[in-house]
Amino acid sequence: MVKFYSSKDTYSYPFPAVTLAYFLRYPNPYSTHVLSTDTISRYFDPETQRLTTVRLHLKRSKLPSAVVKLLPRSLLGASASGESQTYILEKSVVDINEGWMDSECQNLEFTGVLSVIERQVFRRPVPHVSDEAKLFQGMEGAARRHGFLNFGGSGAGAKVGVDLNGETTDVESSVTLHSHVGETWRKKRQAAQEGTFSSSDEEQPQKMGFLRSWGTATLQRNIEKIGLTRTLRSQPNAREGMKVVLERMREGGLVGVLEGMRKDREAILQGHDLFKKNGGPHAKDD
Amino acid sequence: MSASLAPECNEVKERYDNCFLKWYSEKFLRGAATTDECEPLFKQYEKCLSKVLKERGIDKMVKEAREDNRENDAEHMRPKR
Repeated sequence: MVKFYSSKDTYSYPFPAVTLAYFLRYPNPYSTHVLSTDTISRYFDPETQRLTTVRLHLKRSKLPSAVVKLLPRSLLGASASGESQTYILEKSVVDINEGWMDSECQNLEFTGVLSVIERQVFRRPVPHVSDEAKLFQGMEGAARRHGFLNFGGSGAGAKVGVDLNGETTDVESSVTLHSHVGETWRKKRQAAQEGTFSSSDEEQPQKMGFLRSWGTATLQRNIEKIGLTRTLRSQPNAREGMKVVLERMREGGLVGVLEGMRKDREAILQGHDLFKKNGGPHAKDD
Repeated sequence: MSASLAPECNEVKERYDNCFLKWYSEKFLRGAATTDECEPLFKQYEKCLSKVLKERGIDKMVKEAREDNRENDAEHMRPKR
């Protein structure tokens, strides 16, 4: 069983600005649970003008606590012993000529319990105009794109940084949740029935007592349901976070975004001190 | 800028990130990029980070996830247009 969420949205910012905001989306005031972001590989193909990036985010909070409650600790592995952090792998490809960005995020740990794959596709909208007008608009668009960002150069637009011109970017988001809980046990049981010698049967029963009473399918369904609930809750925050970054870009260009990030990072560090002092989580989960 | 998961890599990460942002917005987004100009800085950053990824066993998790995804990537990582 697989749970699926999808939505469509339009940002009132041009495509290049949205791709830049995507790379700069952490930290933002809606993502105080994101502790770090590292680029682990990057490849630029000059022929296709495509940029492929792989990044690793470290986020506070792993599985929803409701899922943790459903599962025996033995299944969660050693890192569940109080460590509430999880790694998220993000891969993205930007094609600036064709005007699209495709990104995919997935959790690296506990994928057997719940695998969450979030995909976002950003697109420069295709204008519905005649061929002649399209040619003209294409040239105009290219000129616009060439001037859209400014790095503190001279001129009136230097401070604004981003030229908006009413351009928009479409985004399609989808989240796939899939629980594989119990599947490895089933495989083991099958192997045992087929006559393969197995001594693991004796190791298993205590751990899965209540899981068995529930049944694998029910357990998977429940875990996926909890995951979906959390997705529905976190998606608006993710969108708001992007909008904050885009707004900062509109107000103060790249410098404005970096300044905002610096403040958010400070706030996160302060929040951590609070977390330690009070011994409880106060930040939003997602 | 976002923090690195390894505090000792923050400095070299910031140098790379700054280089990348400049290259990305001034060259790449304008379709004027010919090479990845920040590659030397990335190498330094990667050298610092890969040590930490190895120590924490993250490199293996990443490798496994990327291998699992290779087939999916071939199918999904292209536009639907």
